[in-house]
This record gives sequence, structure tokens and C-alpha cells, in this order.
Amino acid sequence: MLNYTNVITEEKSFSGLQMKEIRPVMKLIIRGKKREFLSAVGKSLNLLLPNEANTSSRSENLTAIWLSPDEWMIYSNVTIDSKNNDYETENLLNKSISKKNLGAVTDVTDQFVMINMKGDKIFDLFETGSPFNFNDFRNKKGSVTQTILAKIDVIIHNQNQNEVNLFVRRSFSQHLFSWMNDSASRL
Amino acid sequence: MFIINCPYCGEREQSEFKAGGEAHIIRPKQPTELSDDQWAEYLFMRKNIKGIQFERWVHTHGCRKWFNVVRDTSNDDIKAIYKMGEKPPII
Ligand SMILES: [Zn+2]
Repeated sequence: MLNYTNVITEEKSFSGLQMKEIRPVMKLIIRGKKREFLSAVGKSLNLLLPNEANTSSRSENLTAIWLSPDEWMIYSNVTIDSKNNDYETENLLNKSISKKNLGAVTDVTDQFVMINMKGDKIFDLFETGSPFNFNDFRNKKGSVTQTILAKIDVIIHNQNQNEVNLFVRRSFSQHLFSWMNDSASRL
Repeated sequence: MFIINCPYCGEREQSEFKAGGEAHIIRPKQPTELSDDQWAEYLFMRKNIKGIQFERWVHTHGCRKWFNVVRDTSNDDIKAIYKMGEKPPII
């Protein structure tokens, strides 16, 4: 993790909704199309990439979310050492993917902010600022979507009943978080 | 406002997409042999039909993939959606 001033400094709590940033969480974007790519990722991480659209898969330490037919994000289930920029998962993938020209591995740990949201009002909040239809999404554990929230690109992962992880680009995170707080206070 | 069925992500609202203009315009094989008029024809001239039009769209705020849409421009009724490289349907 790089050394910077965090913009989301506190946990926010409303009736039926709690929001906080979880950091540092390792995040990698991996891209590839070949079958060898999929099996190499599976073998080196002990984690099968989801090939069904809008879904995710999970191992003990990592979660893989589908972004596009040839693009996934992998993030750590627990926080990592904040003083270290060297991730074992990335090193493993560099060895089995990048060095063998099977695909691309990009560290986006510092690019994306992960906001954890809990409560039964999560989707009421999303509905105030997103064109996405969350009806099926909210009942399907592990579902994933990339969409717009308050005109900002977000990735949303339905981790559990009444718990989601939301990823937003760092430069938009402060604005989005303050919009979410404002919107949550009016639910 | 209308719904577009992204061939990769499924049904999404139009605001997640961007239109990329007329589809199936083939780049001339030998641009150097064209007159300025012919080159301008390729570069700028589009049909802009009122009615059924073959278009390219991109799911900008989703999977970021390009694909083709057959749309009636008079009422935004989508007749067909198919991936890049696939043959356009006969409509
Ligand atoms: Zn899509």
C-alpha cells in the first residue's frame, strides 16, 4: 500500500445501514482469454475464476469477481500488511501468467477503495442513484455488477445477506462517500 | 430511456452504454488510391436513417465490450443484438 492521506476517515451508521472503508485490501485486475490462462490462475491460487457473467468465486483467502468475459478482479478477504507493497498472490500470478504471456496482471490495490456496507437498507440506498435493477442481485449471494451510482462507476459485490463490498476509484471515493451519507440520511 | 441487453452482462439501462455510430463501415483497403471525396465519404458520411439502423454500442460502465445493435431510430425499438465479428441478421 502506498503512503497517502485517506479521504474516508470514519465509519458511518444509520438505521439499517453501516458503511466503512476497509483497508488495506489487496486488489488485482487480471485479464486473459486462453484456456491455459484460466487453468494457470486456478492452479496457482487454488481458486477457480467464475466464467458466468455477474458472479464471483471465493477461496479461504481470496475472492474473484467477474468483470467481463476476459477480465476479473481478485481481492483479499482480509486486510493485508499496510507497510508492504509486495503481494504473494501478485508474485504467483506474475510467475504463472505474465512471464508466460498468458495474460495481464495489474495491481490496483491503491487505485480502488473498498467500502463495506451492512444492513437491510443497502439496496434502498442504491435505488436512489443507480439505473441497475437490484431485485435479483440482492437475493443471490456472490452476485457482482459493474454499474453507475450517483454517476460514478462502481463495482458491487453481494458478499452476504445484507452485506456488500463496493469498489470505487480513489479519486471519486470522497465524493461518493459523502453522497452516500447524504442519501442515507434521507432514506 | 430504454433497456439494452448486453450480450455479456444481460439487460442494463441505456445510461450504462455509449453509442458508437453506424456499424459495418469497411475501411478502404488502399486509402492512398482514393480521391479526397472518396476518403471523406468513408470518414464522415453516415446514413442517419429514420427507421431501422445497424449501430455499434459499447457497455462503457459495465464490461466495456463493443457489440452491434439493430435499432429502429424512430421509436428506439431494438430488433437484434449481436457480438462483434458476427454476421448481421437479415431484418
Ligand atoms: Zn456488458
